[in-house]
Amino acid sequence: MTRRPESAALGIARGGSALVTGASTGVGEGFARALAGRGVDLMLSALPQEAERLATLADELTDQHGVRCFTAAVDLAEREGPARLRAAAERRRFEPDLLINNAGVRSAGAFASAPPDSWLGIVHVNVEAMVRLSRLFVPPMVERGSGAVVNVASTAAFQPQPYFAVYGASKAFVLSLGQALWAECRDEGVRVVTACVGPVETRPRSELGADASAVSRFVIRRSLTPERVAETALEALAEDRPVVVMRMRGAAPLHGAVSLMRSALPLRRRLRLSARANRWLYGAGQDGKQA
Amino acid sequence: MTTWEAVTAAKPSPGLQRGAAALVTGASSGIGEAFARAVARRGADVLLTALPQEHERLEAIARDLGDRHGVRCVTAAVDLAEREGAAELQAAADDLAFEPDLVVNSAGLGHAGRFSTAHLDEQARMLHVNLEALVRLTGLYLPRMVERGAGSVINVASTAAFQPMPYFAVYAASKAFVLSFGEALWAEQRDAGVRVVTVCTGPVETAFHGHADGTAQQGGVKGFLRRRYMTPERVAELGLEAVEQDRPLVVARMPGVGLLYHPIAMARGLVPVRARLKASERMHRWYFDNRRPS
Repeated sequence: MTRRPESAALGIARGGSALVTGASTGVGEGFARALAGRGVDLMLSALPQEAERLATLADELTDQHGVRCFTAAVDLAEREGPARLRAAAERRRFEPDLLINNAGVRSAGAFASAPPDSWLGIVHVNVEAMVRLSRLFVPPMVERGSGAVVNVASTAAFQPQPYFAVYGASKAFVLSLGQALWAECRDEGVRVVTACVGPVETRPRSELGADASAVSRFVIRRSLTPERVAETALEALAEDRPVVVMRMRGAAPLHGAVSLMRSALPLRRRLRLSARANRWLYGAGQDGKQA
Repeated sequence: MTTWEAVTAAKPSPGLQRGAAALVTGASSGIGEAFARAVARRGADVLLTALPQEHERLEAIARDLGDRHGVRCVTAAVDLAEREGAAELQAAADDLAFEPDLVVNSAGLGHAGRFSTAHLDEQARMLHVNLEALVRLTGLYLPRMVERGAGSVINVASTAAFQPMPYFAVYAASKAFVLSFGEALWAEQRDAGVRVVTVCTGPVETAFHGHADGTAQQGGVKGFLRRRYMTPERVAELGLEAVEQDRPLVVARMPGVGLLYHPIAMARGLVPVRARLKASERMHRWYFDNRRPS
């Protein structure tokens, strides 16, 4: 049996295959495009209501890059969702070298006044589905002695996030689990990288009107894009890094300074400042009752 | 007046006065039971809850506490791993006309093992209890507390929250979740008069960790470490003190280890991620192989 080149066995070059969840938009779509561009065969997954969008994307990628592109519309918030996705892959005899755990839900607002529906999805998708999918797709990689996982987390993982409490916690979960998996899978030929991604601008630059403020334009120009996120993550995978942190251009040194100052503060002060910052940055917590 | 009474007289602390009420999950043993006993000792009524199969034990503890401290002690046997478990618990409490000033989320499971071979259903069940049920129950009681302008929640996490733990991967991640969640809530609820405390404890001498298996009497490293486990009583006391002091976090560590913690944490930050994780993998593999199977 001819051994595939390492990059193919990791699902990042021609001859390899990858499963991307949440692939119909945003960062997931970015991964789909980046991988197709490298000649990787794909299975793309998203919610049932995104099925048409997914199919259009799959056709486009097959035409442009000559890769196989299957789709599976599955609601990962449902407990059987991940198993259904696994079954769909098996039906197609699609055993991915690379799993991109990208599907995720986000919501904002004070927890005490948030309806459960606004955060249950975060627990079911960002946490449980991510665990189930990893548990379903990693063992065959271990068996083969090669494979990779990219977990799309967030810089929200590093600190508690008042007004994004469940979301921040879900990313802290992914960051912890991802690193533990990197360590466990090291000797088994499987790589696991957890990408902590700052805010991503998914609107195309052309959409920004001339009336956008100078500040907005400044920020947009430096923002992360889905393409940038995908490329950086795949590079990190090639380097076998357990974690890769991505922020908008220029933000890293600023953030380094902020982190340093923050670590000098007592916990209570730090948390109160986070609450104030999140309220200001995202207009969160403005729902009447002072929380 | 004792010091404790003086403190509470000066600053009313939510959920701990005589006549207050506390709901404790996982109350049939270990840290949950210790919390139930600690709040009953302070003169608060207690609703103890655990799995249906623990019902007899719950009743026995409730009777004991009621006799000893003259407080109202009721029980509810609910499986928090079920999606509707938390809601059922609140309904049971409402039926008993029991409105807690303090909710202690102590119920938890600790399955470990290599992730790629560990039983998925067990890992999922652990998520449902340690993580989802905790969030659901907090979500059910927090709005009522905010409405009243008073109340507190104690979430029992673990020092496993502070770093990834190979071979205890999902467990440690679930605790990282609880820690992040709880601290965020503390900040959100500052001005609403509601306190949220996260208790992070190292290994505690309970059934969870293989209680009373004679390891403490052994010589060598294992015996040394086992003798330094926290007691559930101490954890409960630290948790209740933290509520009184409105601290977001309390870390209960092995005696003696506490002093080492800050230098260790600082040193850890200087070590590159890969080296840190490799060392962690070796250490946790040893711990996993040498701990008493639960």
